[in-house]
Amino acid sequence: MRPILELRNLKMYYDTQAGQVKAADDVSFVLNEGESIGLVGESGCGKTSVSMSIMRLLPENARIISGNIFFDGRDVVKLSNDEMNKIRWAGIAMIFQAAMNSLNPVYRVGDQIIEAITAHEPNVTFEEARQRVASLYKLVGLDPERMDNYPHEYSGGMKQRAIIAMSLACNPKLIIADEPTTALDVIVQDTILRELEKIQRKLNMSMIYISHDIAVIAEVASRIAIMYAGKIVEMSDSVAIFKRPAHPYTVGLMSSFPSIRGEKKELVTIPGEPPNLLNAPDHCRFVPRCPFATDECWKAVPSYTEIESNHFVACFHPQNLKKRVSINA
Amino acid sequence: MPDNEVVIKVENLNKFFPMKKSVFSRAKHFLHAVDEINFEIRKGKVLSLVGESGCGKTTTGKTLLKLYEPTNGKIIFLGRDVTHLLNTDDKKWFHSKTQMIFQDPFESLNPRKTIFDIVAEPMNIQNFGTLRKRELMVMEILKRVGISPPDAFLWRYPHELSGGQRQRVAIARALVMKPEFVVADEPTSMLDVSIRTQVMKLMMELIKEMNMSFLYITHDLAVARYMADEISVMYLGRMVEHADSEELINNPFHPYTKALISAVPVPDPEFKRKFVEIRGGIGKPIDPLPRCRFYDRCPFAMEICSQKEPELIEVGENHKVACFLYNHERR
Ligand SMILES: Nc1ncnc2c1ncn2[C@@H]1O[C@H](COP(=O)(O)OP(=O)(O)O)[C@@H](O)[C@H]1O
Ligand SMILES: Nc1ncnc2c1ncn2[C@@H]1O[C@H](COP(=O)(O)OP(=O)(O)O)[C@@H](O)[C@H]1O
Ligand code: SF4
Ligand code: SF4
Ligand SMILES: [Mg+2]
Ligand SMILES: [Mg+2]
Repeated sequence: MRPILELRNLKMYYDTQAGQVKAADDVSFVLNEGESIGLVGESGCGKTSVSMSIMRLLPENARIISGNIFFDGRDVVKLSNDEMNKIRWAGIAMIFQAAMNSLNPVYRVGDQIIEAITAHEPNVTFEEARQRVASLYKLVGLDPERMDNYPHEYSGGMKQRAIIAMSLACNPKLIIADEPTTALDVIVQDTILRELEKIQRKLNMSMIYISHDIAVIAEVASRIAIMYAGKIVEMSDSVAIFKRPAHPYTVGLMSSFPSIRGEKKELVTIPGEPPNLLNAPDHCRFVPRCPFATDECWKAVPSYTEIESNHFVACFHPQNLKKRVSINA
Repeated sequence: MPDNEVVIKVENLNKFFPMKKSVFSRAKHFLHAVDEINFEIRKGKVLSLVGESGCGKTTTGKTLLKLYEPTNGKIIFLGRDVTHLLNTDDKKWFHSKTQMIFQDPFESLNPRKTIFDIVAEPMNIQNFGTLRKRELMVMEILKRVGISPPDAFLWRYPHELSGGQRQRVAIARALVMKPEFVVADEPTSMLDVSIRTQVMKLMMELIKEMNMSFLYITHDLAVARYMADEISVMYLGRMVEHADSEELINNPFHPYTKALISAVPVPDPEFKRKFVEIRGGIGKPIDPLPRCRFYDRCPFAMEICSQKEPELIEVGENHKVACFLYNHERR
């Protein structure tokens, strides 16, 4: 397997009047070709900041302090704006949160996708682009006849499919889907997730799924990264994350979700609230909420280490090592 | 009041919204947001309304609490017909015993009022007790919902609080006068995962402690299963299935309920879900034809389904379904 994307100790901070917001604080992971990973965490933990750093679509007050983002062998951090423009959409495409609202209401949906194609591939004729959009429509489960409709003639689910078609338009190697189904009803969410999964396999694309909902991520990702307060605190294959969570935050998350499968179980709550990322202190960010905390945890930031093969954790006292825990079936 | 007394009961409740072309024209078309709904909630019990957005959950809740006038039907609260509350005393009585908790804790709290004024509001409206008494009650309920120490929060404003804290304040306001019946409309759907569980557990505890009856509205079946004793599934204004929570989740009858359950993502990467294929998307129930509202999307649709509307019929103990597949079968 060849890595398509590698983040190495990425630090992306926002400057604000109140101080520095460490939105991505030493984030590292590798994504292989054809692989799908999930990035999970509560709102404000830095998921979108990581994806916007990869796309290099950052607001004025954001700075990449240090670290590398290797895409297809090249460090995105060091590319010029022109080079980056070529990579965006053609190399890495993104499905934004609430992207369906980003369709321009006064243009036909199909034309907006054609526009995206011809902007990146000037040699493609209008007719060729139209053909491509028609086949993309079929791929995402839309009727090509609907290409000439306007956004208001589409339902929420159809708009999201059109956005997916647009993200696929220039054959990207990597798609970042940031909360792609968060605003949708459960049946529509389900069909869209299945569609994405199917397309990803068929085209052997790499995917990063971002969600606050770990159940959604369990459906689509083969590896999962858990983010907390600007850091990845745990990453492993999905089964290990669910069956043997090592980080106390992950352990807490696993038992705090109601499920419709299996026996109805008591929910366990994680006390307290996620921290503000402003002026982060020099210790484990989870410590005020952690049932396993010791003095050590107040004194230093635990490093992100491989505690067993392909299982990374940032914690002084990782749990469930080498023993199986039962979670709801 | 005896323990299994019916606190609230609705009979053939309808709420139609007129679709006006302009202010001058009379409405010729109606959106049947709530259409012939029946249910009852007993003391200390929680009924959950579930269904996709636009199916009529919020309208049902608001109509029950008289925030909307019902188009038709009957609402019986504590044995009294409250469908049309005409005089001030009746209104006051009804509103002192019922409350609503809204979805968005950012919108539902008045930004210009202090936490004390917000929580004391129901008592002020009711002219209840002395100022000292109100203060004590506000402090007590704030402490109970986890806003502590309460005196540190009394004179703050909503914007100084986190989303989770605001929803706790909204709960405090709803419960300060110990209502008999509360409608909670997606009260945790805007909250973060870890906070959501805290607030769900808090509400469960308070429901038990205060022996209240709840209508708990949610689009999330897993949440409904956790919070509710019974679940009603709505589709385009109609109730299509009703049962005890575990029965509904484990033994659904209606094709829509089955689809809804099978579409819920399962937090277990080794679990492979069964997919129920249903076509298309949800529309709007404007002047609906007399036929099953799920007809266009139903994989089992039969001729009869396009000719009349299925009634809710009993298929098991406290288990009702509105679908022609079960009209002749009895378990
Ligand atoms: N432009 C910005 N300026 C300052 N802070 C920001 C900006 N954008 C996001 N943040 C902050 O950065 C943190 C991470 O945000 P984000 O990446 O959007 O999180 P997520 O996608 O996980 O919800 C949050 O604390 C957020 O308030
Ligand atoms: N005030 C209103 N005027 C007209 N139509 C409305 C009004 N409120 C809701 N509706 C319509 O009634 C239907 C049910 O809405 P709602 O009760 O909000 O559903 P839910 O809470 O299940 O999402 C929807 O089709 C909605 O557009
Ligand atoms: S480092 Fe300490 S405080 Fe942080 S998660 Fe691990 S045990 Fe808990
Ligand atoms: S009544 Fe007919 S169309 Fe409606 S859900 Fe049952 S089988 Fe499907
Ligand atoms: Mg985000
Ligand atoms: Mg609603």
